[in-house]
Amino acid sequence: MPRCFVHGAGLRMGWADMQFSLPELIYQAVSAALEDSRRHIGEIDSVVLSAHDLVDGRSLSSMVTAPAAGAYLKEEIRLAEDGLAAVSLGSAQIEAGEAELSIVAAWGRASEGDHEHTSRAMLDPFMLQPFALDELSISSLRLSEWIARHGECRESRQRAVAARAGRAGRNSRSVQANVRPRVEFPLHASEAPRFADVAAAVILGRQESPVCITGVGHSAESGELGSRKLGAMRALREAVSRGLAASRTTIEQMHLLQLPGPTVPDEALALEVLDLAAPGEAFEMYASLAHINPSGGGESGWCFPTVGLLNFIECYLQLTGQAGDVQLADRQRAMALGVSPAGAQIAHAVVLEAA
Amino acid sequence: MSRAVAIAGVGQTKYLRRHAELSGAELVRQAVLRALRDADIDLDAIGLIVGGVAPDALAGVNHIDLSSIVRPGTPYFRVNTGGATGSSALLAATSWLRAGRCDAALVVALERMGHATTSQKVFNSIFDPIYEKDISLSTISMVAMRATMLMQEQGFTVDHWAGLAAKNSKSAQLNDTLDRPRLFTAADVLASPILAWPIHALEACPMSEGACVAVLMAQPLVGKRKVAWIQGAAGLTDTYAMGDRMRRPQGSLVDLHTLIRSAEKAYSQAGITRPAEQIDCVEIQAPFASAEAMAYLALRLCEARSGPRFADTLIAGTARVAVNPSGGPQAANPVSATALIRIAECALQVRGMAGLRQQDGIRRAVATGQGGATQFSTCVVLGSERP
Repeated sequence: MPRCFVHGAGLRMGWADMQFSLPELIYQAVSAALEDSRRHIGEIDSVVLSAHDLVDGRSLSSMVTAPAAGAYLKEEIRLAEDGLAAVSLGSAQIEAGEAELSIVAAWGRASEGDHEHTSRAMLDPFMLQPFALDELSISSLRLSEWIARHGECRESRQRAVAARAGRAGRNSRSVQANVRPRVEFPLHASEAPRFADVAAAVILGRQESPVCITGVGHSAESGELGSRKLGAMRALREAVSRGLAASRTTIEQMHLLQLPGPTVPDEALALEVLDLAAPGEAFEMYASLAHINPSGGGESGWCFPTVGLLNFIECYLQLTGQAGDVQLADRQRAMALGVSPAGAQIAHAVVLEAA
Repeated sequence: MSRAVAIAGVGQTKYLRRHAELSGAELVRQAVLRALRDADIDLDAIGLIVGGVAPDALAGVNHIDLSSIVRPGTPYFRVNTGGATGSSALLAATSWLRAGRCDAALVVALERMGHATTSQKVFNSIFDPIYEKDISLSTISMVAMRATMLMQEQGFTVDHWAGLAAKNSKSAQLNDTLDRPRLFTAADVLASPILAWPIHALEACPMSEGACVAVLMAQPLVGKRKVAWIQGAAGLTDTYAMGDRMRRPQGSLVDLHTLIRSAEKAYSQAGITRPAEQIDCVEIQAPFASAEAMAYLALRLCEARSGPRFADTLIAGTARVAVNPSGGPQAANPVSATALIRIAECALQVRGMAGLRQQDGIRRAVATGQGGATQFSTCVVLGSERP
């Protein structure tokens, strides 16, 4: 099978910039990715997109946005899923020999929507919406479950918050605005993500480049929140396990791990799930491990469904030595993770290696 | 060289205006169990599920797939390309299998639009709120504009639209996935109210709910199963702006440039050089008769300027190729699933398992998908011989 390589990346991150429409932001991100890859749009033969009607605010939103992403008289599929799923599908097309060079793009404009409303609207209207649940309150429930077992651990949580903020502060790609969703106890406001308007794109291809995709993994869990152990993050754990198996590596061999969040506890508790932290040590480990979310995770900018692709881009920049002030010294192998609603029911993992 | 992929099983629910007694998950369960039984495979052998759900607003529940299609532990993602959702989902699963990521996949498309109180408003929300809504551009008026162009440029008449609708209505009587399908004549169509000239009410597709599932298998797993091989598959996206597609070097709005190029690519993969002779059956995603007529030339089923004559042979029942033997989307059009249904029907024909609607001697069949104001086109070639 042909292997899939990463040829370039482009990103537009901001907040409520009325100078540009959404298609213009998408066009800018895709153009930047093409420029980074030194490729021309005429060479592209496939486009895989990730966008959600509810976030974009119109039915079948890709009618308007797909051409801005380069999907004009080209093969194109749009997923209503986290952007990392689009990366995985784009790489499958290349591995299958169906495409030579692909654009993968994802976007969301958090400043134009009401996250609480759209997040809640994705939950079951009879069994879950009446309880006023949304993505952030699910995160609160997950943290509550952890606190019941390990205590509140205020100081280590604060250290984790500070570490994340420090990383995001050093990341020149972070969103500047400080707009956060309302959170519920026991979450603190500082543990919430910072909203962002995001358009992100990467160029994947069959021809060799400095970064290669060596494994992908995916999984899912039940849509019924009540039947899930939120803290176990089954889908995330299985996606990572499958991604590692496909790339014949171990989690310990990863020089970089970009976790999806959105909150500090979501990012930290994933370390226990992935056996990178002992039970009860999640926040301490998150604060001390520099190779976990060096981008600043949800603090650097968060908008569904772009997060997995943002994580993928951060991994690519790290492996190519282009991560700026958050650049890590070791950069041979990285893993990007992405999740879809609700409460990380669907999870995706992609392993990248410096070729 | 990537692996050959086949459709080994198909499962469909009844397609009704509204499934009042069944939830989305129950519809999916029905279709999945039928497809697995047809393919003689266990659910645990499935390595990927691709969900096909088009605009959320139609179902009234956002991400209805998360509670009705997802299976814990199985890799999953959802595709949404409007009316082409079902075929796009199949293309995505095909890529997965060809890449060797698993040996069997489920493509599951679900439509619950009968629960929308204002489905036409939902459809109309796809149009630009500044430039297009003020001129009353809707899904119906968009079709009417194209039908008018076909009449002016290619010589079709309102009798063709009525005749084709009646032809599909007659075919639908043999389709056991439909519950008491409407039966009408061309005269009935012409006597029905006009929605937007020249479109009559009986020509328009009905609102439909239901689920369609296809089991895809990579070559190593197929064994002795009776399958329909995917000999060619392609999709293409065009610009959204219809005004930019009215007159351009590639053709006019009714030339369906994206379908032409999708078909060219799929035919090339399948080794088809003389489509009118080498294709035995076609399922066209055409919710209106004029949409079906637009595809004849794009699929090269007839020569230039002979579209009306080809339509005459279809209406008279003398055409060599069977077009929409299921009755097509004019009989049932569950938006999220309709493009997958076209493929499923072709698979049944190629496998000789289409029941009362089975046509004789079907060795190769072609299914189309259209989404977003005919902006997205797909073409899938299925055959009895492995590519």
